[in-house]
Amino acid sequence: MIEPFTTQPIRYVDPDGTPTQALPEKYTPELLRDLHAQMLRAREFDRKLITLLRQGRSTFYAQASGMEATQIGLARSLRAGHDWVWPYYRDHVLGMALGIPVFELLSQYLGTNSDTSRGRQMPHHFASKRFNFASVSSSIASQVPPAAGTAIAQKYLGTDEITVCTFGDGATSEGDWHAGVNMAAVNKAPCLFVCENNQWAISMHSRDQMSSENVAIKARAYGIPGFYVDGNDIIAVMEVCTHAAEWVRAGHGAALVECLTYRVGSHSNADADAEKFYRTRDEVNEWLGRDPIARVEALLERLGHPVTPEERTGIIEATYREVDEAVLKAEATGEPDWRIMFEDVYSDLPDHLREQEAFLRAEQTGGAQ
Amino acid sequence: MTATKEQYQEGAVQSGGEQTRTITLIQAVTEAIAEEMEQDSRVVLFGEDVGARGGVFMATAGLQERFGKKRVFDSPLSEASIVGAAVGMAVRGLRPIAEIQFADYIGPGFDQILSQVAKIRYRSGGQFSAPLVIRTPSGGGVKGGHHHSQSPESYYAHMAGVKVVMPSTPYDAKGLLKAAIRSEDPVMYFEPKRLYRAAKGEVPNHDYTVKIGEGVIRREGSDLSLIGYGGVMPDLLKAAEALSAEGVSVEVIDLRSILPWDRPLVLQSVEKTGRAVLVSEAPRTANFMGEVAYVIQEQAFDSLTAPVAQVAGFDIPYPYVQDKVYLPGANRIVAACVKTLNY
Ligand SMILES: Cc1ncc(C[n+]2csc(CCOP(=O)(O)OP(=O)(O)O)c2C)c(N)n1
Repeated sequence: MIEPFTTQPIRYVDPDGTPTQALPEKYTPELLRDLHAQMLRAREFDRKLITLLRQGRSTFYAQASGMEATQIGLARSLRAGHDWVWPYYRDHVLGMALGIPVFELLSQYLGTNSDTSRGRQMPHHFASKRFNFASVSSSIASQVPPAAGTAIAQKYLGTDEITVCTFGDGATSEGDWHAGVNMAAVNKAPCLFVCENNQWAISMHSRDQMSSENVAIKARAYGIPGFYVDGNDIIAVMEVCTHAAEWVRAGHGAALVECLTYRVGSHSNADADAEKFYRTRDEVNEWLGRDPIARVEALLERLGHPVTPEERTGIIEATYREVDEAVLKAEATGEPDWRIMFEDVYSDLPDHLREQEAFLRAEQTGGAQ
Repeated sequence: MTATKEQYQEGAVQSGGEQTRTITLIQAVTEAIAEEMEQDSRVVLFGEDVGARGGVFMATAGLQERFGKKRVFDSPLSEASIVGAAVGMAVRGLRPIAEIQFADYIGPGFDQILSQVAKIRYRSGGQFSAPLVIRTPSGGGVKGGHHHSQSPESYYAHMAGVKVVMPSTPYDAKGLLKAAIRSEDPVMYFEPKRLYRAAKGEVPNHDYTVKIGEGVIRREGSDLSLIGYGGVMPDLLKAAEALSAEGVSVEVIDLRSILPWDRPLVLQSVEKTGRAVLVSEAPRTANFMGEVAYVIQEQAFDSLTAPVAQVAGFDIPYPYVQDKVYLPGANRIVAACVKTLNY
């Protein structure tokens, strides 16, 4: 039985790889290796995308390095393409774990013609209809009330889907967050709220963001269970999220999971000098010591199934190849034409936009207007 | 620096020191805040990441160190709380400067501006007022997609109860911000983020303010009045330069204040030139320039030799990839002027 409202984060494996309790049987070495490979792929994906950014091929990136266990563990509690996700901008790893192809992510990242968001969003603010992965809005916590609505619709329509809504710790200060959680709670809607608490909202530590002891405890005020979990322990995340998702799926209403993790990199490329302004190298080093990938490696070692250096290199090289190929393929599709600016504003093209389109066409083709 | 009571009044332009320095627009913002905090202990500054980080654009760099955490503090991530708390502080006698990280993120605080900031003086019969400043970077040209590029100033001009300004030079940025902080009314202070470091200019060493509601002629001319504000101003000047090479004399006006705006300045100019081209990067429909066009046709109709033209953004959410196509650059402005001249 997994208890809500624990004062310590729920954990199955210590940072050095020692299990703190008997591991459920399903965590075979094969599954652990699979989880490890996915986390490593995500880590290297971040590294590769930052390189692309430095090469000037894109303008923005918000890494998820350090948060792989949270996002991949959460994905494992969902039925990909069946359950719905209202994500936030740092969720590319969640998207990858649900199966969104790297080519799709890269296309959006580069804003090419193959981008499903049609070059309108900032890099890596993904959307994928195929995976029920709703479009990322940069506006913090604006996804929370819509997630409640999707869950209300799922209940209304009698589906067996659930909705997952993710956000950072900073988002829990916004009014939208409280309004959305309350809305889902009173409607007993199948909504799983997941806080990816990486402890920093740009330069604000969660200690200064809220005066409650954690995020999970806030669930009490809305009458739903709140689970507090070690977000760098993928087994704990999977266990708790699966438990909460099943509870939600069973029709009991909404639930909240807080994954305590750490953003090891900068907030985004626009904030590359975090340690100069607001946090210490010691703190970063301390959290590097609780790395989710190293933890699974240590556990596998202890279980007698170590990941070999060759296997590691294999995963890294495969990821780089995958990204390189996707970049070339995406770039080959070209940049979206300016004309598409006017599409999708409405379901049809009203007269005033028709006129504006004609104006721009004349300008762009050198015609007098 | 000490100053007399008169000097704090909005619009009081000081003379005295001859010296000037060249600074950037963002430095002008920082200096204005620092000097006002120095002079008036009621001034406090808060918002997301304004403290240790110094703001995401570094507009508030060093201010927490200098004035302490009581006067310069980070707020939880909630624009409703930032704006709403500023109202409460102002009502109780402080002079809050609230930073909203991007104009695109005022959304959660919009109701506080609409329901509290803009109305408290009126609905309380003048018993309460909210002398506060909401500062926020706005506008496009930074490849930021719709969440980091919008120009929402028209919403606020429509509200009745807040003043709305947007500088385009360091001199105005500093003078207008000082005036806004000293103002008895709430002021929405939009900062054209693409000019933060691109706009450099002279500011005097002595204390001065720029009166809210006063526009300025950036370049005199007799054939056409080219009117804008904020991030597009360098393009207006470029367009005027290009046209002057063709022998056309363009008068360039920077509104600086959107509400109230300088009607006499605009009308006088249009009466002289007979032609007006209005430029802003905000979407065309319900754009504030529509109001300017209306007033020109209402009050200077007889002087007009051509219809008033508008160059604006398109009526679409600001796109990421087409950032540069979206913005009205100098070429688009020149084309509109030529069309007006050839009418
Ligand atoms: C409404 C709104 N206000 C401000 C911002 C600017 N902003 C972008 S990310 C961020 C911090 C978010 O922190 P958190 O929710 O903890 O997520 P994290 O980035 O740490 O994963 C801020 C203030 C925004 N995107 N939306």
